Amino acid sequence: MATKAAAPARQMTGKAVARAPRDTAHEGFLAHRNMLWAKVSGIVSGIAILAYLLIDQQPRPNGGTAVGYALGTLGLLLIVWLSCIGLRKRIITTKPFSLKAWTSAHVYLGLSLIVIGTLHTGFQLGWNVHSLAYVLMMIVILSGLYGVVAYVQLPAQLSANRNEATQPQMLEAIRTLDRQLDSAAQPLGKHEADLVRLSLEECEVSGGLLRRLTGRYPRCGNARALAEMQALVNAQMRERQPDPALRQILFLLERKDAGLAQARRHIAMKTRLEIWLYVHVPITIALLAALIAHVLSVFIYW
Amino acid sequence: MSFIIRQIAKRADGGDIIRTRTIETPELTIGRGTDCDIQLADLGIMLRHARLIQLPGLMVAVEATGGIPLEIDGKFVNRADLRVADRPQINMASHRLSLEPGDAPGSVNVTAERVIAASDSADASAETEIFSLRGALPSKRILAWGLAALVLLLGLALPLFGLVGSKSPLPPAMVADAARPASNQTLTPARTRLQPVLDVTAPGPQTAAGPDVIWTSGRISDAHAGIANECSACHVKAFQATPDSGCASCHVPAALPDHAAPARMAKGMLVKTGMGADIRHAFGLNEGRCADCHKEHEGPNGALMVRSSFCTDCHTGLSSRLADTGLANVESWEKHPQFSPNLVVRASDTQPKFQRVSLDTKPSEASGLVYPHELHMSRTNAVANMALKQGLPAKDGALGCNYCHTPDSDKVRFKPIEMEKNCGACHDLGFARDGGVLRTLPHGKPAQVAGIVRDFYLSQALSPRANVQRIAFERRAPGRMAEAEAQSLRITSVAEARTRAGAAIDAIFSENGVCADCHVIGRTASANPAERWQVAPVTLADHYLARGRFPHGRHDSYNGKTGDQACIACHTGVTRSKLATDVLLPKVSQCGDCHGSSDVKTNVAATCDTCHGFHGSGDGSAPATAAPASVTIAGRKLPRGHQPAVASGASAAAGGSGWQGPTAALAPTRAGPTG
Repeated sequence: MATKAAAPARQMTGKAVARAPRDTAHEGFLAHRNMLWAKVSGIVSGIAILAYLLIDQQPRPNGGTAVGYALGTLGLLLIVWLSCIGLRKRIITTKPFSLKAWTSAHVYLGLSLIVIGTLHTGFQLGWNVHSLAYVLMMIVILSGLYGVVAYVQLPAQLSANRNEATQPQMLEAIRTLDRQLDSAAQPLGKHEADLVRLSLEECEVSGGLLRRLTGRYPRCGNARALAEMQALVNAQMRERQPDPALRQILFLLERKDAGLAQARRHIAMKTRLEIWLYVHVPITIALLAALIAHVLSVFIYW
Repeated sequence: MSFIIRQIAKRADGGDIIRTRTIETPELTIGRGTDCDIQLADLGIMLRHARLIQLPGLMVAVEATGGIPLEIDGKFVNRADLRVADRPQINMASHRLSLEPGDAPGSVNVTAERVIAASDSADASAETEIFSLRGALPSKRILAWGLAALVLLLGLALPLFGLVGSKSPLPPAMVADAARPASNQTLTPARTRLQPVLDVTAPGPQTAAGPDVIWTSGRISDAHAGIANECSACHVKAFQATPDSGCASCHVPAALPDHAAPARMAKGMLVKTGMGADIRHAFGLNEGRCADCHKEHEGPNGALMVRSSFCTDCHTGLSSRLADTGLANVESWEKHPQFSPNLVVRASDTQPKFQRVSLDTKPSEASGLVYPHELHMSRTNAVANMALKQGLPAKDGALGCNYCHTPDSDKVRFKPIEMEKNCGACHDLGFARDGGVLRTLPHGKPAQVAGIVRDFYLSQALSPRANVQRIAFERRAPGRMAEAEAQSLRITSVAEARTRAGAAIDAIFSENGVCADCHVIGRTASANPAERWQVAPVTLADHYLARGRFPHGRHDSYNGKTGDQACIACHTGVTRSKLATDVLLPKVSQCGDCHGSSDVKTNVAATCDTCHGFHGSGDGSAPATAAPASVTIAGRKLPRGHQPAVASGASAAAGGSGWQGPTAALAPTRAGPTG
C-alpha cells in the first residue's frame, strides 16, 4: 500500500529494481497494529468471564446451560477459524488480511480460547470425549504459546550461533575436517588410526529427537577420539616431544569438535523452533476430530 | 615374475583414473604405509596389511601381515594360496584386490580399487535430515491423520456402533424401587462433599459398560448410578432431548403423583417468552419436562438438584393465572409469606374444624384442652416438685419438653400426646384402694366412669368389704384422710349408695374435680348424674405447617443451645404461656436466622425444596380446613379427644432425602370431607 502511494513521488533512477522505502521499523506479529488483536481477545475474554459470573446458570455452570451453549458455539467457530491459518499461509497475498495480521489474530484469539473453553467446561472434567476435546485444545494452545515464545527468542540466538555460516557451510566444514583427518591419519599405526576412524565413522551430527533437543551426544565418536588422543599426546609430552602427526590429528579433532558443537547448537535451537509444530498441527487435526465427536455425541445423547 | 598394478581412483565427476605400473619382484607389499608397493589410503587398512608372493605355476600366496584376516571368497583367512587363473578377489576394509593373469607370461595383474565409497559424499537431502526434524520424527501429516483417525474411532465410531447394538435390561431391583410411591422408595441419601472422603463406597453401575460411556457428560447421580452404563434408558432417541417417557418407564406416574391436576398445572404454569425461550421450544425443551428440573450428570446429588427459580417461576404470580388458588404468591425466600398454620378452630370428636390462619394475626387455637405450658415448665412449683418425686425426666428442675413431645421414628415431628402416657404419671385417675389393688377410672369414657363409681358404692352397700378405701380427688388437711375415708364408706342402704355415688360423680366432673384440671366441662339439666356432665371434645393439631416439613431432629441445637433450650429458642412463648389457646409456633423470620442468612457461620440452604416437596403436593385449590372424621394410627383407635389433625394435601413430598412424613402412612385410611 505504502509502496504504491509513494511510487509516483520517487525519482526515476533508471534502475530496474528500486528499493521500497520503509518508513517504519520492523513490526512483528505480536505488536501488529498496536496490539489490536490482543485488545479484541481481552475484550472477548472479559465478556465471557462477566457472562459466566453474572448470569445465573442452573443447576450449575457447564456446557449445557445457555451461557455454556453460547461459549461452546463461539469456541467451536474460533477453533475452526484458527485452524484455517494452515490454509491461509499457503496463499501468498496481502489481502484481505495480511499474513502478519492473520498471525497476530491467530495468536491472541487462540489465547482467548483458554478462557472461553475453560468456562464452557464449567470446570468439570472427566474421562470422556468432551474432556478429551478440552485437553487437546489446551495442548494445542500451550504448544502454540511455546511456539510464540520460541519465535520471539530463538531466531536471534540462532543467528548469533550461526556466525554468518550457512547450514551447508557448517556441514562442509565438518566434512573438510573429516577429509583432512582421513589423510592425516594415513601414516599412523593401528591404535591411532582406529581413534581417527572413531571420529570419522561413529560421529553423527544430528541423531534422534532427544539428542537433538538436549544437544548432548555422550557416545559421540569425535569426543571419544579427542579425549583419547589428548591422553595419548599428554602421555607422550611427559616423556618426550610428542609425535607431530598426532598433534596434527589432535588439532583437527579439536576443530571438528568445535564445528560439531556449533552445528549441534544450531540443531538444538532449530529443533526447539520446530518441535512445537509437531504437536500443534497434528493435535489440532485430532482436536477437530474430537470436536466432531463432542458436538455429535452431545446432541445424539441430548 | 612380475606384478602389474592397476590402481583405480574415482574422479569427482564419476570417471575413473587408472594408474598402472609394473613391479619386477616376486613379493608385493600392501598397506597404508608409504613404503608399501600398493598403498591404500584407508584407515581400516594397517600400515603393512598384507603380502602377495608369486609361486610357481601361476599361483600366488597371500598372507595377512597386519594381524587382520583377509576376506577371500567370503572367508576370512590369514594365509591362502590362490590360483591366478581363478581370478581371485581379496577384500580388505573398503578396498578390493583383484588378481588375474597378465599379458606377459608369468606376470600377474593386480587391480586395487575402492569398493565402499568414502562417507563424506555430500548430498542435499542430508542437510535437511540433519538440520530439520524431518530426520527424527514421522511427518506431521502422518501424525495428524493417525491421531484424528484414532479419536474418531474411539470417540465416535465405536459408540455409534454400540448404539445399534442390543440393550441389556435395567436392574430389576432399581426398576421395582422406582415404581413404588416416593415415600416408600429406598432413596439414596444426599451426599455432601466430605462424604466421598469419609465413606469411600459410592454406588456403582450394575450393568456392563458399552463404548458409549465415553460420551458421558459428567458423573451420574448416586440415585441413578446403577444404570450409569445404560445410556439409552434415558436417551431414548438420538438427537432428541431426554423425554419424560424415559423417566416414566421406571418412575411410573402412580409413584410420582402430579404436582397439581394437569389442567390447573397448565393454567398456572408460566410459559416463558423471548428469544431464548423460543429457541428452547423449537428444540422441544419445554417447561415442565422432568429434565427441565432434574439435571443429570451433575455429580452425586445431581438428579435431586432443582433450580431454585423453578418454583418461583410459577409461584411469583400464581394468583394472576390461577385466580382461585388458595396459595399465596411467593417471589423468593426473602418474601416468603408468614406461616399460616392449620389451627383447630373447633374441636370435635367427629368433625374437628381446622383453619389456616396467619401468625401475623396473633391467632388462638381452640383445642378444647386446658394446658398452661408455663405451669408445667416451671422449675420451682408443685409440678416441678412432683416431677422430681416421680423421677420424671426433668432438666434443670423443670419437666422436659420431650416428656410429652416425643419425636416420631424419623425425628421429623412428634408422636401424638396420650393422656395415660404423657399426663397420667401425675394426673392419675385412681379413685379407690381395694386391698392391694388401685382402682382407676378410664380416661375419655365419662359414661363408664359414672357406671364404675355407681357400682363401687352399690357394692359397698350390699356387701361391704374391709380394706376398701375411697381416694378423694379434692385436697384435704393432712392427717384427716383415714378418718374421712373410714366414715365415708360406711353405707347402710342402697338409696344412700345411689346418693353417695351421684355426689361422687358430681365431684369428679365438677369444676373442682379431677377432669376439670385439663378439660372444659359442661353441665346439662339431666337428673341422671351419668348424663349431667359433658367433657368438651379435644382436638390437637399434629402438623401445623401442612405444606412444609420441618425435621425437628435436625434442629436439635440452635445457636449453641441444645435440648429444651433449643426448643425454647424458637418456640419462645412457651415458658410464659398460661393458656392452651396460645399458638406457640415461631414465625417465618425465625427460620431466616440461619436459612439464607448473610452470616457465613449460620448460612444454610434456603431453597424451596429445603422445606417443600413438589410431586403430589396438592394444587392448593382447596386449603385444608377440616380433619377426617376418624383416624387410625397403626390400626389402633386413638383415645377420644386425642386424634391428630390431618390436613389434606399433606402427603409426603418426594423432594427430600429419605423423608417420609407420618401423614403419608395415614393417607390410605383417610376419609370424610376435606372442606
